[in-house]
Amino acid sequence: MLKFIAFFRRFRVFLVFLFFQVVALSSYFSVMSFPRTKFFNSSSAIVATLLSWERDVVKYLYLDEANRKLQAENALLEKRIQDNFISIDSSTAKINDTLNKLSFEHIPATVINSSHDYANNYFTIDAGSEKGIQKKMGVVSSDGIVGIVYDVSKSFAIVKSILTKDINISASIDDSYAHGLIKFDAKDPRNVMLTGFSNDIEVEIGSKVMARGSGGYFPQGEPIGLVKKVEPVEGKPMWDITVELHQDMRKLRYVYVIKNIHQLELNNLEKDIEQLQ
Amino acid sequence: MNSILKNIIRLIIFVLAQGLIFGQLSFGYGIHPMIYPLFILMLPFDTRPVVLMILAFIAGIGIDFFMNTFGLHASASVLIAYLRPAIFRQFAPRDGYDVLKEPIAREWGYPWFIKVSLLTIIVHHLWFFSLEYFKWSSWNDILLNTLSSSLITLIIFILIQVLFFKKSKTI
Repeated sequence: MLKFIAFFRRFRVFLVFLFFQVVALSSYFSVMSFPRTKFFNSSSAIVATLLSWERDVVKYLYLDEANRKLQAENALLEKRIQDNFISIDSSTAKINDTLNKLSFEHIPATVINSSHDYANNYFTIDAGSEKGIQKKMGVVSSDGIVGIVYDVSKSFAIVKSILTKDINISASIDDSYAHGLIKFDAKDPRNVMLTGFSNDIEVEIGSKVMARGSGGYFPQGEPIGLVKKVEPVEGKPMWDITVELHQDMRKLRYVYVIKNIHQLELNNLEKDIEQLQ
Repeated sequence: MNSILKNIIRLIIFVLAQGLIFGQLSFGYGIHPMIYPLFILMLPFDTRPVVLMILAFIAGIGIDFFMNTFGLHASASVLIAYLRPAIFRQFAPRDGYDVLKEPIAREWGYPWFIKVSLLTIIVHHLWFFSLEYFKWSSWNDILLNTLSSSLITLIIFILIQVLFFKKSKTI
């Protein structure tokens, strides 16, 4: 026993060092591999409050650009309103059709903290479970997909940005309908990679990349970006496709969280796939 | 001022400055300025190693909260707190350190300060970026990030020393 105590006293500093490293690194790697902890993140109340104060100070700098974007969006929506159309054919009648059912709701939110030049990037938004946000909901801006909700507190949420190594959003290319996974290679925050494309599929530079809608996170056809570069992967029959994002992630301010009303139904149905195999 | 109180205030200021100002800046080219290692460097000479690591852990976790890094900053700052006594011993002046003086550039000269902080910063950044990428194949990204961030961090350290730790005019 005495020897044990003597050993402990001799290596006390190193043992304390080891203890702290184990605590910090186990937290880091457990979060990186699967979401578990609710502790180390900026949706915790104090930090999020501080960050939203900071955001209140700097938001005036971005009002100009935000207004311009909203105006463009408004103009687009105006075109769809029934009142703005006049009937040119007197024999037509307005029919309230029930064929289309609302499937995706948009919850507006503001980004209060973000990063874009690390290998894994997250951002914090000022809407949480009070506004109906849950884990694993898709997040879009007016330009395109920006991420997936990762963790939620009462009035804030953390979003895993599209600039994260294991984001794995399923995407398809406009004209070929072939699909692959979006990944981030931590090089340039303007570009992401589209992987899993066999090289017998023709891919044209400049074609649109959009969400495939699998998993129910995003509506099908939600834009992501444009194909910028296509290169063969060495030693594999695959294309390495670089996609330029529509949304400049460095300027992200206003986002919408997408709530899929049929998510539960979809999950329950797809749950059975594994049992069939 | 009481030394404990002064260092607690410094801790809060460094964490807030890192979380709200320096963590939000983006320069590209892998530059991520991190100023909180300076807090660990400036703790008094006679701080016990265990206390040093506890303070470093608190500072690191505080920054993790802001940056969504889940423990990465805590790990890196505990590492440099553990190595600080050895680094100080390496660059000790001939007569050893006077424990009553603070480890800042004004007391020990800029050559000493630059040597000590450069070594600390490089160790800190190398550890941080290696863990962040955690892949052999991205060694070039790790090196680029480490070198460019170290340079900028060192410049910020020197600026802080020049601006906030001037010679007091009263004496």
